[in-house]
Amino acid sequence: MRLYLFLAWAGILSGPEMGTRVPAFSLQDQFGQTQTLKSVMGAKGLMLVFFRSADW
Amino acid sequence: MELEQNRERIRKQGLGLAAISYDSVGVLKSFAERQHISFPLLSDSESKVIREFGILNETVKAGTATFGIPYPGTYVIDPKGVVVSKYFEDDYRERISASDILVRQFGAAPGAVGSAIDANQMRITTGASMSTARPQERIVLSLELELKPKMHVYAPGIAGYIPVEWKLDDGAFVKAHAFEYPAAKTLRLKAIKETAPVYMGRVRLTREITFGAENALRPLLSPAGELVLKGSFRYQACDDRRCYLPETVPLEWRFRFEGLVRERAPAELQKKM
Repeated sequence: MRLYLFLAWAGILSGPEMGTRVPAFSLQDQFGQTQTLKSVMGAKGLMLVFFRSADW
Repeated sequence: MELEQNRERIRKQGLGLAAISYDSVGVLKSFAERQHISFPLLSDSESKVIREFGILNETVKAGTATFGIPYPGTYVIDPKGVVVSKYFEDDYRERISASDILVRQFGAAPGAVGSAIDANQMRITTGASMSTARPQERIVLSLELELKPKMHVYAPGIAGYIPVEWKLDDGAFVKAHAFEYPAAKTLRLKAIKETAPVYMGRVRLTREITFGAENALRPLLSPAGELVLKGSFRYQACDDRRCYLPETVPLEWRFRFEGLVRERAPAELQKKM
């Protein structure tokens, strides 16, 4: 499998490096349900998206 | 929303899907209802998780309504919580679509977005990871070649013949990213005791584009609301007996345009400074 990484000129932060573990979290979703890394994880992994805002 | 449209394709890869922002649960609920979003949108209203990931946009001044936003990006994480890959753009206004990740990292099939062209010596089908064009979103375009039996075309790097060349009419409409042609097969030409890099049979070429800003795209929409991207594919084909004249085939990708969401959450839910 080929992996792609788009990194940045200094200034843009992209968080945990490949091969490292991401921080655990516990957050409420739009239905008021508490979700964790484990609860949103699929059998083969997770696509986790950070976006700027749902209200601009 | 692109993620909702790709939710099923993501699930088929065995992947979970969630999206985090600094919005309140109320804003996310309102957005999800308006946009019919069913996968989890997670509220990190204090930007605690955004900070823990180390992606808080520190160029935004504290005390403003946009303070707390992350650099936008996508992680693919394995079941143990380890980052397998991540996709962040230099330009924060641009986004790499989930469809792009599905095609390039997971080998998902791009959908057809044009009719197949029966050219001389081969059939060419244009495809794309998404049939919807959204401003400043990065997607994958594909070309499926089906060469007729015994036919080959030359890969880049050949000397003395015309190699394949895939051109796009880009400009303000789209940004075409640098790309690589697929690995070639080696053909032995017995008569002249040479080898040549060639493509035979079925071959898929892929490359990425990022659509331009909304104000650049809107004037180019057809009356039906479509965006048409044009390009061409040049090749010279040969079989075991002879070589044919070089061909340049015009290509086309048709996208349904979808602008950015402008409608905001009710005023009482909006983020205060």
